[in-house]
Amino acid sequence: MTIKQCLTDNHTLLLKKWFKATIDTYPAQSARILGKDADRFDNPVGAVTRETLEDILHLLASDYTSETLEKALDPVIRIRAVQAFSAAEAVSFIFALKDIGETVMDSALVREFDRMVDQVVLAGFNRLMKCREDIFLLKATESKRRIHAAFERAGLVQELKEEDLLGSKKS
Amino acid sequence: MADELTPDELLDKIDYGADSGNWMDTTKSVQIRPGMYCYAAKAESVETLGLPNARPWNPVEEDWKLPDDWQQILHNGIKERLERFRTFKIFMDVCVRCGACADKCHFFLGTGDPKNMPVLRAELLRSVYRNDFTTAGKILQNIPGGQRLGGNRPLTLDVLKEMWYYFFQCTECRRCSVFCPYGIDTAEITIMARELFNLIGLNIDWIATPVSNCYQTGNHLGIQPHAFKDMLEFFVEDLEDITGVDCTPNFQKKGADILFITPSGDVFADPGTYTCQGYLILFKYLKDKYGLDVTWSTYASEGGNFGFFTSHETMKRLNAKMYAEAKRLGVKWILGGECGHMWRVIHQYMDTMNGPADFLEVPVNPITGTRFTNAASTKMVHITEFTADLIKHGKLELDKGRNANRIMTFHDSCNPARGMGLLDEPRYVINNVCDNFYEMPPNTIRENTFCCGSGAGLNAGENMELRMAGALPRATALKHVHEKYGVNTLGTICAIDRAALSTLCEYWVPEVEVAGIHELVGNALILPGEKERTEDLRMEPLPGCEEEE
Repeated sequence: MTIKQCLTDNHTLLLKKWFKATIDTYPAQSARILGKDADRFDNPVGAVTRETLEDILHLLASDYTSETLEKALDPVIRIRAVQAFSAAEAVSFIFALKDIGETVMDSALVREFDRMVDQVVLAGFNRLMKCREDIFLLKATESKRRIHAAFERAGLVQELKEEDLLGSKKS
Repeated sequence: MADELTPDELLDKIDYGADSGNWMDTTKSVQIRPGMYCYAAKAESVETLGLPNARPWNPVEEDWKLPDDWQQILHNGIKERLERFRTFKIFMDVCVRCGACADKCHFFLGTGDPKNMPVLRAELLRSVYRNDFTTAGKILQNIPGGQRLGGNRPLTLDVLKEMWYYFFQCTECRRCSVFCPYGIDTAEITIMARELFNLIGLNIDWIATPVSNCYQTGNHLGIQPHAFKDMLEFFVEDLEDITGVDCTPNFQKKGADILFITPSGDVFADPGTYTCQGYLILFKYLKDKYGLDVTWSTYASEGGNFGFFTSHETMKRLNAKMYAEAKRLGVKWILGGECGHMWRVIHQYMDTMNGPADFLEVPVNPITGTRFTNAASTKMVHITEFTADLIKHGKLELDKGRNANRIMTFHDSCNPARGMGLLDEPRYVINNVCDNFYEMPPNTIRENTFCCGSGAGLNAGENMELRMAGALPRATALKHVHEKYGVNTLGTICAIDRAALSTLCEYWVPEVEVAGIHELVGNALILPGEKERTEDLRMEPLPGCEEEE
């Protein structure tokens, strides 16, 4: 059996275990609520986490690149990037997939599967950095853009134009 | 009681514990984490208002430079408020910890921190109340294990720090109160907690400095009257370029029909500035068509009231200028702009704080004859009620095509929606100035609306992680309508929202822009004598005019 076949055959079990491991990274009292299969608007963390993990499992079972992995990871990493996790904790849930994989795979496949998970982890780190950079940029530029920009347009202040300052973001 | 629940069962019921142990244990949980807290109030801003314990301090340092008798001050402060506010007393006693509110808070849903469950956030203060003010609490303190049994905590420094951290992670949005079977208004508990913090100088700067500015200069940013006037005059120049019509407003005009007051964010911060231009167009239209005389004031140049997030007394001091200016100018009534918390202050507090405003008339729209009986006491009408009334009576000539590029949804701002029931008027206006409107899912709008995550003075920069986490439930619903219907514009009637939701969109749904409702009105309204418009209020090409650029 190939690793992709194994991932396809065990999709439901893998998703269930991986979702639980991920939600259990939250404090127990929260995990009890966030782990519920509720309406996505009543429980965005639970719903987005479940969907993202499912997308990743589908990708691993088909064709993927580091770019497609990173894009697929974005929704859950974007959430974890603003929660009370260290950088390591924010992506640690991906490593949990290694232990879960071992429980359903032939030992011959485990090493290859571990390498796949490593690629997901690296994509996760990339995306986490991107999200943190987004946050820092918002912190640095929000008030300038909202308030300073209006004063600039009115000609009440004369400094470097915001579009010059922000030129690097647009490129 | 003892027959019904064993002590262990009772403990299970109240254990909303954090990652380990019992929730009453602060040692592992009090971590003032960067990104989640706002900077401390500047000493000079606290001094301006004559509030206690003005000094430089830093929440992440061990020593908060509290007065020696801070525990006694807080004890007395709680006692005084229990006697003064029946709501506070009831809310301290009546919660049965059913958990109905637990997963209704945007901060809990976004951060995943159990102490952001409204029940547990309130419990941080209730535990002190039970310990110091209830008979059972006083008895239990003297029994080994009694404090844990009763959920009592003495007011230690760690308990104080934990309360401070979490009561500044509540935007007083009141969504949890919609689901509480007892109607406990958690916002009022947060209001009381913040009042208590102010007794010992523990405000945050994003509240204290705007309050100080407002008190001294008249608006949150501390913009002086001439600059306020300059900004509006600059808008007039832009509007003349766009419409060919001179929309110069009145300032401090004695004997005008109506005094207009809006949050200063509309005058000084994008994208509220475009909403402000919409007001100017509307007032020019009403003057030319119907002779309605509206005046602005550089004295009452702030509709918002961050005093609301400080104390009842501070709120009253800032609010007073609205009535004072209306009286001085001799207007008939006050029209208020698109704002959020301003309307909770007006609707629920103004009349009893600074009223009755007997010198004003019950607001009547002179153009339609509509009597705003809902504002009979406050004498202040929300502009979307006013505009909806004008549209309903066919008094505005509108070209919806000018907003054809806008695929709209609407964010109900917490205070107008839950604080005064303003739900349908903004939607009615949107549907009359724009053809493309799609609602977000029902559990995220109207009374159930999710907060922007930045209200109640939390729209600072340093707590961006908290704001973006708190914004997640709103963003999830917005993303849904963006993907399903192609929504590209989020309409809102709150100045904080216009700023906060713009940042929310940049992080969560970058394809969506934020616009005030009167920006759309300004685009659609056909001014008498206007030139053929080719640009919208953002000076971007109108739909169909793109090639001419």
